[in-house]
Amino acid sequence: MRNVTEGCVADAKSGVRLATGSEGVAHRDDLKDLTSLAVQGDRTAIESLIAQLRPMVVRYCRSRLGRVSGQYHIADDVAQEVCIAVLSALPRYRDMGRPFASFVFGIASHKVADALRSSVRSAVPTQDLPDGPDEGPGPEETVVRYIEAEHARRLLSRLPDNQRELLILRVVTGLSAEETGNVLGMSPGAVRVAQHRALARLRAMAELESTA
Amino acid sequence: MTARQPIPGPAVTAVRPLRPTRGAEPGEDPAVAEADALIEALSSRGPLSPGASRDPAVRLLSALIDDVDQRRSSVSVTPSA
Repeated sequence: MRNVTEGCVADAKSGVRLATGSEGVAHRDDLKDLTSLAVQGDRTAIESLIAQLRPMVVRYCRSRLGRVSGQYHIADDVAQEVCIAVLSALPRYRDMGRPFASFVFGIASHKVADALRSSVRSAVPTQDLPDGPDEGPGPEETVVRYIEAEHARRLLSRLPDNQRELLILRVVTGLSAEETGNVLGMSPGAVRVAQHRALARLRAMAELESTA
Repeated sequence: MTARQPIPGPAVTAVRPLRPTRGAEPGEDPAVAEADALIEALSSRGPLSPGASRDPAVRLLSALIDDVDQRRSSVSVTPSA
């Protein structure tokens, strides 16, 4: 078994994959080892596991929930809740042959649905004032990006649920076709055909709007 | 109300390793393979093929990715002629 340390698995360039596809066998074994250690309460393994999962969970929640009052606080809070729920459920997690990604994004999907049902969206937390200059995009670029992203969300929301979930997991969250298939219970080939159809549908909707 | 302290972890912009390029499988619809190449480039935050930014679906998904990752836009705001 590979010696798992926080540094080696938290490094984005050598990070473990959630895949169970043919090219991801070594990564799958890494993740299985890491998950197994985390289930046993190994603190380093837990931190490494969460460090791997968190960026993908944040992307998923942000793409599903969008901004509230121009900020991602709600989505990021939900992502935080997902990570906490995964942590809480870890001791009870049993490897039943399904990929760990299915477990994580199953939780994420439910948390997002809960958040969408919730009407408590009025309180927007504020961060402390920064000490230095903001290195992020300027106001103009932020607004343009926001409008384009909201346009994307609006069109995605008009896709059938399965196509929207597929595109968000595959494109925005950054899962491979194999990983996406594992989460959605589809073969990689079926994912590739479905994503082709979803992309074509999104393109058609965008073109229709631009000519309307 | 103050922002909740995040669980320590890599920045949301952390990119996972580029996956190996997959060629079209025998008998696979070329359009499916082409869409997969495009989607894989978006998914792995890799470079898009020239002309891809003229595709309205790619532009929208790129904008969403940039917004979610909170990085500077990789796609020109003004559509190419």
